[in-house]
Amino acid sequence: MTDDPILSVSGLEKTFGGITALDGVDLTVDQGITGLIGPNGAGKTTFFNCITGYLAPDGGTVEFQGDDVTGNRTPSIVREGLVRTFQIPRELENMTVRENLLLAPGGQSGEKLGRAWLRGGQFAEDERRSRREAAEMAAFFELDHLLDEPAGSLSGGQRKLLELARVLLTEPEMVLLDEPLAGVNPTLERKILERIHELESQGQTFLFVEHDIELIMEHCDHVVVMHQGQKLTEGPPSAVRSDQRVIDAYLGEEI
Amino acid sequence: MALADFAVSLLTFVAIYGLFALGLNLKFGFTGLIDFGHVAYFMIGGYVTAVLTMPAQVTGYDGLGGYALPELLAVVPGGDVLGWLLGVAGGMVAAALVSLLVGVPTLRLREDYLAITALGIATILNEVVRNETWLFNGPFGIRTVHQPASAAFPLGLGSFILNLVVFGGLSVLVIAYAGYRVGSYVKDVDTTGAALGLASVLVLGGSIGALTQGGPLLFVGVGLAVAGVAVLREAVRRSIEPERTLALVVALAAAAWYFLQPLLAASNPTVTLQTNVMFLFDPVAGPNGGLDYDRFFMLLSLAFLAGGYWWCQRTINSPYGRVLRAVRDDEDVPRALGKETFRYKIQALLFGSALAGAAGSLYTIHLGFISPDQFGAMITFFAFASVIIGGTANNAGVVLGTAVFWAINSGTQFLNDYFPSEYAVKLAAARLIFIGVLLIVILYYRPEGILGEQDYDIRLPGDEPAPSRDDTAAAPGGDADD
Amino acid sequence: MVDTGLLDALAQGLVTGSIIAAGAIGLSLVYSIAEVPNFAHGDMITIGAYFALVVNRPDEISLLPGLPGGAVSLVVAGAFALVAAAAFGALYELAIFRRFRSKEADLITMVIVSLGLALVLRNLVLFVAGSRNISYETAVVRDVNWDLYLTGSGLTVQRTQRQAGDIALLGEWGYPVWLLLGILAAAAAVGYGVYRWRSTDADFRTVHLVSPRVLGVLGGVATLLALAYALRFDPQGTDALWSTRIGTSYKDIAIVVVVAVAMFLLNLVLKATRLGKGMRATADNMDLAEVRGVDVDRIQLVVWVIAGLLTALAGVLAGWSASNVNPNMGFTLLLPVFAAVILGGIRSPYGAAAGAILIGISMDVGVYLLPSGLATYRTAIAFIVLIGVLLVKPDGLWGDV
Repeated sequence: MTDDPILSVSGLEKTFGGITALDGVDLTVDQGITGLIGPNGAGKTTFFNCITGYLAPDGGTVEFQGDDVTGNRTPSIVREGLVRTFQIPRELENMTVRENLLLAPGGQSGEKLGRAWLRGGQFAEDERRSRREAAEMAAFFELDHLLDEPAGSLSGGQRKLLELARVLLTEPEMVLLDEPLAGVNPTLERKILERIHELESQGQTFLFVEHDIELIMEHCDHVVVMHQGQKLTEGPPSAVRSDQRVIDAYLGEEI
Repeated sequence: MALADFAVSLLTFVAIYGLFALGLNLKFGFTGLIDFGHVAYFMIGGYVTAVLTMPAQVTGYDGLGGYALPELLAVVPGGDVLGWLLGVAGGMVAAALVSLLVGVPTLRLREDYLAITALGIATILNEVVRNETWLFNGPFGIRTVHQPASAAFPLGLGSFILNLVVFGGLSVLVIAYAGYRVGSYVKDVDTTGAALGLASVLVLGGSIGALTQGGPLLFVGVGLAVAGVAVLREAVRRSIEPERTLALVVALAAAAWYFLQPLLAASNPTVTLQTNVMFLFDPVAGPNGGLDYDRFFMLLSLAFLAGGYWWCQRTINSPYGRVLRAVRDDEDVPRALGKETFRYKIQALLFGSALAGAAGSLYTIHLGFISPDQFGAMITFFAFASVIIGGTANNAGVVLGTAVFWAINSGTQFLNDYFPSEYAVKLAAARLIFIGVLLIVILYYRPEGILGEQDYDIRLPGDEPAPSRDDTAAAPGGDADD
Repeated sequence: MVDTGLLDALAQGLVTGSIIAAGAIGLSLVYSIAEVPNFAHGDMITIGAYFALVVNRPDEISLLPGLPGGAVSLVVAGAFALVAAAAFGALYELAIFRRFRSKEADLITMVIVSLGLALVLRNLVLFVAGSRNISYETAVVRDVNWDLYLTGSGLTVQRTQRQAGDIALLGEWGYPVWLLLGILAAAAAVGYGVYRWRSTDADFRTVHLVSPRVLGVLGGVATLLALAYALRFDPQGTDALWSTRIGTSYKDIAIVVVVAVAMFLLNLVLKATRLGKGMRATADNMDLAEVRGVDVDRIQLVVWVIAGLLTALAGVLAGWSASNVNPNMGFTLLLPVFAAVILGGIRSPYGAAAGAILIGISMDVGVYLLPSGLATYRTAIAFIVLIGVLLVKPDGLWGDV
């Protein structure tokens, strides 16, 4: 929790046909696991969409590792090292698990048309490297026995793992996790959380949206609360938990 | 026209349209772009190549050119062919450039909007070629198409016997090999299915006959059609492997048509059978017999098809091809992984269009004459039918599908002999009705086509080739090619 | 001597646009409710035109058994075409599209399926009727020209007609300047008044049977025509500052009126019946509609029947308007029809109708404005308009937010 923040958002605004979804959000994210919570409709998903290039914000700036990436297109933001997962995993169902994973590594020379034809230079070396990385990542998430199965045949939980593995293979600086544990059984949930902590200890940064507040409180170093398109408060889990405004925002819900 | 000439012409057609369909498959099958304007690039390739290679002053031609590349290069050995190849390259580049102009605005649209705008643009381009006489001579077209290396034909190797042995022997070997492949594939067929399949073909044939007569026989025809379809369904239901039954029926029909029909119908059976069996050898071409230009051109077209196939396979079996398929399945996923998907779509469009352009170059030579009428939207739709029948996203399947399509559409033209000539239009319409129905039936019962999506294997130098399931699937491809 | 000008092109464009609208409304229903980008729509139009031909010119179609009563008039033939095309519409849904929908076929598959259907329909026409150009057996309709002369003292109107090579004067009258301005002012006032009257008492929940804007325009036009007819004065001379000719025929007027009536009836179905509510709900979200108890299968059947009716209407009107029925006619209409639907934003039949009028007018006005050598690019104009709009607004002019 030192140095400059990895992600720094200021004054982010977004409206949809008169309805304000984001109303000037200021937020900084440092290395570690940051949790993002808020009642339904607080603007969490819109916030994700705006910083990852899926939606163009109407105002405000997004700085990632010191570079202004506001309004940049998704692929270029991903190549800068900021990636996200989807709430509902989007696998390429006709392709195998291995192929899904192999899509992720950046800078593969074989992905250029000329290289695909001529196959000189780094072609073979890059592909071997990608295959090795994909196999290692699959092993890390215990998907290695499924590598040659079509992704469409995976269970819901396995898809969550595949999505996470695929995103990590892009070698990101920071990962936005959009409810990675929704609909996952407790065993798998523990497994995913273990993996996330293990990666965090290796220096990976996560921004973690989750419905289950207990989970956020338990696993995050820092918690941000959003409400009605604005940041309500932030701080360590214990401080957030006792904040009266948070309790009001979640009125009727158990904290 | 002897049957062998007809078969040669058909095979040339299949090679040309196969190349055309491979280009479409790259766009549609692998990248998911519904390019309903694919024929435009076929047209551009044909016209540009024709103009680049034809002589400078041609009476009755008021368009651009000709630029006479083969004549310019005649000083170099092989300059005639080299000039033509440059012309083909020019056609491919022109097709690719036009598709770039079309693609940049339209590829950002929804997939169904792309289909209709591409169809519209192709129709407009066709109108332009038709109306602007200064461009490519408008509706009068081009009649002076350069034929590469035509001076060398008919090609003889020396004595009559040598020609007979070499060209004739080669033909027999090809037929024997094809027969062997088909035979080994169909020998496991189950008899019930095969019998029912053959029966349904006969009943359906009778139905077409009755339908073309019109009047009260219309009802008989419809009745027979219903009965035929019923038998066919039964055949498919009872067959353990319907594709083997299908291969057997097709092979029997082709063999009967090619080897038996001349014995029954021709005035000089042995000579006709000889030309059919030794289809590469023409005894009356040149002083000692030899290989005539049509045969050569068939081989040239097949070589282009093989080259295009190899090139497509190389493109698809690569990390590049992997991204293309990802774009097809869900464009957001590769975008979320940092891939510039728009660039991939543009490149696939350019490459597919260039292949269509090459096919167009060959097409002009095969017909010896081009005009805007030959490049209607139907050509695109035929290619879509071919791709879907054979197997979307399967390069071998696309060639098979093209063969099936043209076998139905042109190969059955010999049936015309059995009907009065005024029924030609009706028969042509009946074939396309059949193809339309076939298209819908295949999409419903077997949306992946005859062969289904191909397997992928990115082979790296020094690696053992991965065992492929494709080996078994390739067999029906072998028989339909002949 | 007067020449045709922009007003004539506009009038012609309105007729063209009406025929396109008949196709486009049906296509937009199929597109938004059945979720089929129907490339067979053009050939459905062709088939509709041929249905009328079967009973109107039975002698021309030798393959079918002759009619016991002989040929019938075009009106009866048109009615027959509507019934037959409606039955075919139901057939497409029951035999093809319902099956694919139950397999949850994606958009691309639906495109290709409709392509296959297009191939079948077009060749069915070729099989049964051959490729010749045939025209309907109807009374000869001669164009009536409305020649307008704007002089220093007012407007002169001459009704003329070409008869045996000469121009015959059928009638002549005029309006002084003050009257002309008066009539225009009255028309504008009535139009605006109607618009205000219909929109003031409305809050945002009111569903108008006909939108105030359309009613306002109709009111204005009706006033203009009524006053112009009632207050005919003496001619104001033909020494014109500006003159123009508008060629029309009762055919043109009939086409516009028939399509307008069809649109109104469809509007009635969509807005005032339970069925229409179900259709709109299905268009918004098929699954949700099904959950809410809408019988989606029935809705889809109705949609295809309506689409069939409208294609027959478009086909018969197009064939009558051009005095020519051929197997290619629907395909040449397909592109403008699609352009109109996409321009209107797919989701709404009203947008499609507006898009159709816009496309029709831009085609005919475009041909008028372009040099005569470019007149063959009539369809191209429709497309250039479409692509231009899509580049600016990728969802069409009245598309989803």
